[in-house]
Amino acid sequence: MSGALDDIRVIEYAEMVSGPICGKMFSDLGAEVIKIEAPGAGDPARQYPPFPKDQPHPEKSGMFLYLNTGKKSLTLDPATPAGGEVFKRLVSRADFLIENHPVGFLERMGFPYPALHTLNPRLIVVSITPFGQTGPYRDWKGSDLIEWAMSLTGYNTPTLIDDGEHENPLRAPGHIADVMGGTNAAAAAMMALFQRELTRDGQWIDAPCWQATVNTSKIEMAAYSYLRIPFSRMRGQTLVGLEPMACRDGYVYTLWAADSHYQALKKLLGNPDGLDTELFDTLAGRQQNDDVLRAVIREELKKHDMKYLVDEGQKLGLTIGPVYKVSQAANHPHLAARNAFVAIEHPVAGRFLFPRQMVSMTATPAIPSRAPMLGEHNKEILDSLAIPREEQHGLHAAGVI
Amino acid sequence: MAPLPLEGIRVADFSWIINGPQIAQWLATMGAEVIKIESQVYIDIGRINPAGMADGKPGPNRNGFYHMLNYGKKAINLNLGTPKGYDLACDLIRKSDLVIECFPRPVSERLNLTYARIKAVKPDIVMISVSLLGKTGTEPSSWVGWGPMACCFAGMFDAQGYPGGPPRQTGGTWPDYAIASAVVFHTLAALRHRKRTGEGQWIDASMGETVISQMNEWFMDYFINHRDRGQWGNRDAMMAPHNTYKCEGEDRWIAIAISNDAEWKALCVVAQHPEWARDARFVDRAARLNHREEIDALLRDWTSSHDHRELAATLQKAGVPAGPVLDSVELHEDHHLWEWGYWMKMDHHEVGERIIPGMPVKMSNVPKLNYSRPPDVGQHNREIFGGLLGLSDAEIQTLMEQKVIY
Repeated sequence: MSGALDDIRVIEYAEMVSGPICGKMFSDLGAEVIKIEAPGAGDPARQYPPFPKDQPHPEKSGMFLYLNTGKKSLTLDPATPAGGEVFKRLVSRADFLIENHPVGFLERMGFPYPALHTLNPRLIVVSITPFGQTGPYRDWKGSDLIEWAMSLTGYNTPTLIDDGEHENPLRAPGHIADVMGGTNAAAAAMMALFQRELTRDGQWIDAPCWQATVNTSKIEMAAYSYLRIPFSRMRGQTLVGLEPMACRDGYVYTLWAADSHYQALKKLLGNPDGLDTELFDTLAGRQQNDDVLRAVIREELKKHDMKYLVDEGQKLGLTIGPVYKVSQAANHPHLAARNAFVAIEHPVAGRFLFPRQMVSMTATPAIPSRAPMLGEHNKEILDSLAIPREEQHGLHAAGVI
Repeated sequence: MAPLPLEGIRVADFSWIINGPQIAQWLATMGAEVIKIESQVYIDIGRINPAGMADGKPGPNRNGFYHMLNYGKKAINLNLGTPKGYDLACDLIRKSDLVIECFPRPVSERLNLTYARIKAVKPDIVMISVSLLGKTGTEPSSWVGWGPMACCFAGMFDAQGYPGGPPRQTGGTWPDYAIASAVVFHTLAALRHRKRTGEGQWIDASMGETVISQMNEWFMDYFINHRDRGQWGNRDAMMAPHNTYKCEGEDRWIAIAISNDAEWKALCVVAQHPEWARDARFVDRAARLNHREEIDALLRDWTSSHDHRELAATLQKAGVPAGPVLDSVELHEDHHLWEWGYWMKMDHHEVGERIIPGMPVKMSNVPKLNYSRPPDVGQHNREIFGGLLGLSDAEIQTLMEQKVIY
């Protein structure tokens, strides 16, 4: 099956997570994605765990292998004059250039956006940065932790705290701010492709990771902008704060804000004596007596198994879910039935499962194939640019590739 | 001015609350004609949520929750529970390129908004379904839930928290927003495929699968090493110090993430602790990773007497990656977000001037997105039922009285 984007050429001059996840979205739908890596060490993500048996190896990083499925690797230093020439030829025939370098980096390298546009007027340049191309923080250094923690979503992690002195805000598992910045960039890149059909013109996209994260807390923003209710993550003051609660064999997560949900929960727990009061029958009553109510629910949940609570609770219309370990999720028949994971063989790393899709499609599904080894496609790509073999040897000897 | 990217694309949007509307908002601001089909039988929670009512006064056109998720769109009323209402929905679908719905599976089935039904109405439709865990698969495909439940299913809450402590919730409803731009990307690829081949398709998006892609390192560790990676707190595999540290004031914090020796040395200068830079325990990355707890204790003592915003600015000036944890007041006043163009002032006929967020990307050929004001209930009934579907004023009036256009 050919992919929805099999006629699209992407140059990815990007490292770690935010740029590569964007490039991956294109390559998984069939686009040719040429990943430019630094000669020598390559993308720093190659040094990032997990590794098989925790033994670091540049071809075995689980994170790198996931983020770079289906791409071609070219080692190239575009900051050198000879490397810059190769870079020019690559972007001249590309539809997209994805980059996540600091603001001004491409310009200092001799490739400000206007020069790229002159070189290839149809080129869509996708710049992913921590804070964006303009504004007072444009030169601030970012990282996933920082872009996450500076948003209300990050501040709200973990939710429902009791101790504002010691329960410090936590990063989420993974690189969520980076992934959201890269995903927003991919959406905007497709918008630019549609607009190019109308205008025949490329353009420059500014996709910041911080703004991506800030944008995930509109309920909290509305509460402030419309009602002057300031954000708080303290227990009893949160708007969208809940917590996993222990059951007999693990944890469940449930929401009982609506009357119908509360009645379902009460029924699920077997109408326990502690809930046999009209005090909790209204939302206002539940909010005013949250401490008492929560204590009763906490005790009652402990008497039941996760499976009973989730299966029966859902049948009663209650919003309730299991707090699974990754190993439990990975082995869940539902995800198997949806082909959420796919085995990919890599000549050095071996064969194991990968998450297959961010979003499932029936006609043109994401089909990830293995990530490239460092510089694996140097010859193929330089040949395709009609660079003579002798010249290729020269570039190699000079450390440009 | 250049045409907006999605000019000429029409969307029949049956979605409500957060994730569907956020998808539709990407499309609407970028130029698609998004027709949001609402009903007074099940009013969008965004219109009635108490935490968004302007100044505490109820009113379906006064809610910030709805405003922030629905600008750029048109709104009509249609009672899908009536046969005539469903017929009109089908007429609209026949004139649309895209359909969006975000109901739990049993509700989609009850409302006849399944892909099989919609495809029968318009064979080349691209249909977006967004749900907790996807609408195919086993029993969880029928579950009700919201963004955070996708995290609990996917293993994120189990891996969230202070090492050794209980599982905790990650943020608020962020998966509802996170899935939106991923769906938009795949939807535009599907529209492009339809243009090339004439073939439509179904995008059956699962918030759970989006969360899995977000925390891919945890899944990869399981698939490679057959173990649960567990809670990492703020520890990072390659960076130390890497944490949030207490600042002056109640629940005030600064995030600091050091990735190399130069940044560490610069931090020691700002902290006026040159001896830290010479300390053998902290001399290079490997040493700092091995002594992260000691560094954290030293930094906490130092940051706790500083203002979070001033200290972050001072550190950044010295080349140290740092950022203040901002509350809603500080975020709304943040000069970077204003100058970059994230915040906008919206003048609304019922609630006056309010600060609302714009889209989180900028495009050089799109100087102005479609930020038309969020629609009132049924604001575009006459335009759509009359103009697009060709009903007479008298017919519309009758359908309103019959609670079909309702």
